[in-house]
Amino acid sequence: MGMEWAWLLPAVCTGAFVVVAALGRWLPGRGSLLAIGAIGTAFVLFWFVMADVVGNGPGSFSRAWFDSGDLTVRLGMRVDKLAIVMLGLVSAVSLAVQVYSLRYMRGDPRFGWYFALHSLFAASMLALVLADNLLVFYITWELVGLGSYLLIGFWWERRSASEAAKKAFITTRIGDVALLIGILVLFKATGTFELSQIFAMAQAGEISQTTINLSTVLIFIGAAGKSAQFPFHVWLPDAMEGPTPVSALIHAATMVAAGVYLVARMAPLFVLAPGVLDLVAFIGLTTVFIGAALAMVQTDIKRILAYSTISQLGFMMLALGSLGFTAAIFHLLAHGFFKALLFLGAGSIIHAMHERQDIREMGGLRSRLPATWVAFVIAGLALAGIFPLSGFFSKDDVLFSVLDNRGVVWFAAGLIGSVLTALYVARLLYLVFLGEPRSQAAREAREAPLGMTLPVMALMAPAAGLGLLALAWGDYDGFGSFLVFLPFGSRPFEFHGAVFWPSLALAFSAFLMGLSMYRQTGGVAPALVRRRIPWLLTALDNKLYLDHVYQWTVDHVVLVGSRLVALFDRAVVNDAGVDATGRATRWSGLVLRYHETGLVSTYMLTIAVTAMVIVLIVITTG
Amino acid sequence: MLLILVTVPATAAGVILVIPSSRPGAIKGTALLFATVGLAFSVMTFVAYDHAEAGFQFQRQWQWIESLGVTVHFGVDGISAIMVLLTGIVMFTGVVMSWSIEKRLKEYFFLFMILLTGVYGTFVSLDLFFLFFFYELAVLPMYLLIAVWGSTRKEYGALKLVLYLVGGSVLVWIALIAVYAEASLGTFNLLALQEVEFAKDFQNIFFPLFLIGFGVLAGLWPFHTWSPDGHAAAPTAVSMLHAGVLMKLGAYGIIRVGMTLFPEGVAHWQVLFISLATVNVVYGSLAAMAQRDLKYIVAYSSVAHMGLVLMGLATLERTGMSGAVLQMFSHGIMTALFFAVVGIIYDRTHTRDIDLLQGLSKRMGLAAVLFIFAGLTSLGMPGLSGFVAEVLVFVGAFRTFPVAGVFGVIAAMLTAVYILRLIAKVFYGPLDDRWQGIQDAARHEVFAGALLVIMLVLVGVYPTPFLDVINSGVDTLAAGLGVGE
Repeated sequence: MGMEWAWLLPAVCTGAFVVVAALGRWLPGRGSLLAIGAIGTAFVLFWFVMADVVGNGPGSFSRAWFDSGDLTVRLGMRVDKLAIVMLGLVSAVSLAVQVYSLRYMRGDPRFGWYFALHSLFAASMLALVLADNLLVFYITWELVGLGSYLLIGFWWERRSASEAAKKAFITTRIGDVALLIGILVLFKATGTFELSQIFAMAQAGEISQTTINLSTVLIFIGAAGKSAQFPFHVWLPDAMEGPTPVSALIHAATMVAAGVYLVARMAPLFVLAPGVLDLVAFIGLTTVFIGAALAMVQTDIKRILAYSTISQLGFMMLALGSLGFTAAIFHLLAHGFFKALLFLGAGSIIHAMHERQDIREMGGLRSRLPATWVAFVIAGLALAGIFPLSGFFSKDDVLFSVLDNRGVVWFAAGLIGSVLTALYVARLLYLVFLGEPRSQAAREAREAPLGMTLPVMALMAPAAGLGLLALAWGDYDGFGSFLVFLPFGSRPFEFHGAVFWPSLALAFSAFLMGLSMYRQTGGVAPALVRRRIPWLLTALDNKLYLDHVYQWTVDHVVLVGSRLVALFDRAVVNDAGVDATGRATRWSGLVLRYHETGLVSTYMLTIAVTAMVIVLIVITTG
Repeated sequence: MLLILVTVPATAAGVILVIPSSRPGAIKGTALLFATVGLAFSVMTFVAYDHAEAGFQFQRQWQWIESLGVTVHFGVDGISAIMVLLTGIVMFTGVVMSWSIEKRLKEYFFLFMILLTGVYGTFVSLDLFFLFFFYELAVLPMYLLIAVWGSTRKEYGALKLVLYLVGGSVLVWIALIAVYAEASLGTFNLLALQEVEFAKDFQNIFFPLFLIGFGVLAGLWPFHTWSPDGHAAAPTAVSMLHAGVLMKLGAYGIIRVGMTLFPEGVAHWQVLFISLATVNVVYGSLAAMAQRDLKYIVAYSSVAHMGLVLMGLATLERTGMSGAVLQMFSHGIMTALFFAVVGIIYDRTHTRDIDLLQGLSKRMGLAAVLFIFAGLTSLGMPGLSGFVAEVLVFVGAFRTFPVAGVFGVIAAMLTAVYILRLIAKVFYGPLDDRWQGIQDAARHEVFAGALLVIMLVLVGVYPTPFLDVINSGVDTLAAGLGVGE
């Protein structure tokens, strides 16, 4: 069975983490080679596991971890096709990113620790996708968050990095509170953490509708936190403080997709709660717009990509809410590759620009960084959904499920979202690569070394050609039949005229329009918008004031609340209650003229006398 | 074996007393030697305890005052076995962390060992008279340890602590005498008294005395305020012992005396019990967020975490109660580690104000790693002991009082807020010039810290050996309460 091998994927990475963290400084390459060896092994194993699952069906593995009372917590794992897709994405992107980091992070004083953290992250993420038990899922979910926290704050000497790490962890932790409560609500109703049992009970109608609604809402809040959905998205742009390869892996391809994966994994429960699916779709669509609009005005290349990730994750949520589970996962997969490619490319650009990230200082890099330019074009056009790149197929699939299950209005909204995407991609490509160089650094930029361009090139293949997976060839019936979500049957990919033409035409024309617009004005923001609706731009520049709102809430509600409690503790419980009692005691001590000896001896005398009296009473009466 | 356990620190105290104070090396060596022996016997007790058989094991009994039915009666069950292990670990690491003490070394270690005699004695006594005797023996040296060796308003902190704990003791003592009289068996033997079915009204009247009396030491709201002041004033190793072990004596007293003697009483007061525990958890976390002194943060966090212990106990449900006992162990180790690192920082910088400290990781990398381990345990990171304990408590709470469980989960998030804020302020960021010259944790300090970290990870990754022992004790407790199976 596939599980005989599948557990090895997280296991080798865990081993690498322990060894590199403990002994890294004595290993060749300070442990980096061992870490890469581990993820490479995992990537090789993935193919065997996939062959096995495709041939023999899903496998599972479960053993008791600990028990207490009538609760037994099991380490439940299961490898099925959904897990396979994720295993492939995680191991492939991790491998590429770690190889890339070998060169990118060279000379960093904490080089070995960096690779230890990558191993920790890979192990947790691989275990997360295999989890078949909600508690195991929660555990790996938290560990993934820990890896993210430590990697965002990797350069902790920088105040901004340490703040960003804290913000990311706490914001996602708010979602995690909901997730854990949701898990416990389900546990209370079913008496188990095992997913398969919960699903069986749900389908048999043994779980009340209230419980299903409540738990799915809570689980979705958890997913929204991790997947940076509105209103939790604020942590992701700040997370760009981490090293760029980390952003590629964790904050584009894998961890942020975990929320989408969670909802897909819990699909049997979510389909029983249509109202919650409406919420999922609505939040998804909102996030599409907010992310895309903010990506339009950013000037930091990594932040543009971060907002783009938020927006694309919104597309995935929109698909989930429209019953397009397969579409969501397909978009997750395609996005994982092309967005990782964009980030690694951005890393090369930043490297070439001597750590400058502002696109206003770039321009004309096409001739200076040809390999990166090709990578950016492929990944950018995939992101914009241009045929025949991977993003076209996945986004089409998403839009089709929206049209199919939500109707024309939602579909139109989705189309607008993809128009916005094409626009900011055009802006990014133009301002970075075309036109004239706008700074000395841009004029002198040099292509990254081979150690960095090789992994970039390796990622070009899936980013460009992954769309092929959607189609049927040979024994393979296409992704829609490969990954089937019960109770829905297989849904092979088709070119639906109603989706294909409008989406392609709109995306393509928006892309061209964007290019020409920036070519004419050369500005960073469209002058038209700045002149006509200045308030919109101001709002976007301020990130829609969400950070202000949160900061205000923290300062004026949470901290004031906690100060009140602390003050209450000091003033009421302590000073009034305790010290006043103390003064009263002291006063009585004064009366008894024992005050010079202090209260302790007074007390000891009292207790001794009392004890003797009581003992005497007991002896005489008993 | 248990007699040895109690006499090891007592003997150490005696030996230290006869060593002239002009030979600090010999005093420290003696303390370390006896602490090592104590640790070894604690581990042996824990390992030798047969959880399949359960019940009280290694029992020994000697007559003391026959006319009163007072006997010296030792024995451990699953709950006390793990507490003995905790005491051994904290004692050993506490002695190691006291290495740099210079002032009145002899008296310090003498009192330290007396205190530990009391702690061990309480955990292994099955006679209420001696249980209470040892309990008092553990509390009283605190006053001197804090008032002489402490810092930051030490007399005030020490006095308040002792007054408080003594107030609690009075309540316990009254209830004990009442139990003795009501049962009229002429014995203080706990096992015999457990067989007595006290009248419902009697239980309802006297359970609160145990709950509050012992609860004071466990940091039960609103009787917790001695804890922040006391901890802030105490020297490092005393804080470690105090938050690590002494607070557990309170929870242990509630279990061993209150809950076993008065099963109906605790059921009667359950709602109040769990409500107070919930207030503890949320209130402690909120209060911790507003603090600026490292020790106050850790102390209020202890109030919150002890609240989880009380919450687990108040569920009167096996999973929840097991979680509570595991949380006692986990919190003991974690908080000892917290106070150890805070002590190291204070020793180097002479401040605990988080607004003054920043970027310490640059110079104190090892201390930072130790602190981050404790911090992650505190906020419930899986893979570390706190998570397992918290999950069990939450499961128990959700089965009985889901609202309490929800507050517990939210408080865990608040913990993340103040712990990460602290880490970001104190350890991250650019190093302040003022701290350029400071030294990292010394070798012996890292050794003690690493031992504690290993325990946190061990329990977090492989809790079964610990839970097996705890479960055997909790099953008996639950059977006495009429729940389970």
